[in-house]
Amino acid sequence: MGEIPREAAGSFDQVLRRREAQVLRTAFRILGNWADAEDVAQEAFLRLHRHGLDFANDGATGAWLYRVTVNLCLDRTRARRPSQELADVPSLARSAEASVLMEEQKQRLMAALALLPVKERAAVVLPEIEGLSTADVAAALGSSEVTVRSQISKALVRLRGILNRGDA
Amino acid sequence: MNEQEMREVFREMRDEPVPADSLARVRVAVDQRIHRRPWRFAWKLAAAVVMAACIVGAFLLLRPGKPVPIQQVSLPEIAQVLPPVEIPPLPEVPVRTAPRPKRARPRPVVEGVPVSIRIETADPDVVILLVN
Repeated sequence: MGEIPREAAGSFDQVLRRREAQVLRTAFRILGNWADAEDVAQEAFLRLHRHGLDFANDGATGAWLYRVTVNLCLDRTRARRPSQELADVPSLARSAEASVLMEEQKQRLMAALALLPVKERAAVVLPEIEGLSTADVAAALGSSEVTVRSQISKALVRLRGILNRGDA
Repeated sequence: MNEQEMREVFREMRDEPVPADSLARVRVAVDQRIHRRPWRFAWKLAAAVVMAACIVGAFLLLRPGKPVPIQQVSLPEIAQVLPPVEIPPLPEVPVRTAPRPKRARPRPVVEGVPVSIRIETADPDVVILLVN
């Protein structure tokens, strides 16, 4: 195993603290549960430790972590195919309170996201929740920008369809 | 839910905090796994060294020893090294032979004469007769 130098080891902790929320949140949005997201985050940071911090800048570290996180999520979900049932998408008409409504909408959206193929899920999560540019998403997914744009628009159409069927 | 509403919900999700216990668990697990590895590596290295030492030791022990050089000595040299020793003649001892054991002569078998043995038992009415 390639050990990172002592001065960099301190900065590994800094990178871990700075990026852990990003990695965990992304993994959670793609995988849909915290336990799996924690496993993916651990593995991503161990890979970062093995790789070392030989990046041009902090942005490059972040992009590398996004790519590794998405790949680990893809690996993890490759065996599990998304189910096409709508039973888990909660109905909208449960609460009138705005904050509760928002919370409920989040849950519905997460449930609908879970029904998408994992690559489309990642293509939506990275720009919409993580705020990445199309170029960054393309780098993270290892696809072209054109493919990513197509995946995003297809995923949004599917999401709308799932949510509207849930409302009906 | 239309696309605009979806994007609004996504933006809300962006600001959601990550659970502190999840963050702590990841931090601890990463730290443990990073610091456990050198020990695991050291154990593996130590095991490999011990195994190599055992193999080398076994090889040295089981290897046939070096052949001892045999000094070629000519017969005259041996004669020089070992002077002839005179062996005194042994005193003559008369040899006694042990007397042969006498063989018992086989009794001559008389042909044509019937031989009978009469054995009387305790019972006066029972008599055993062995004929020939």
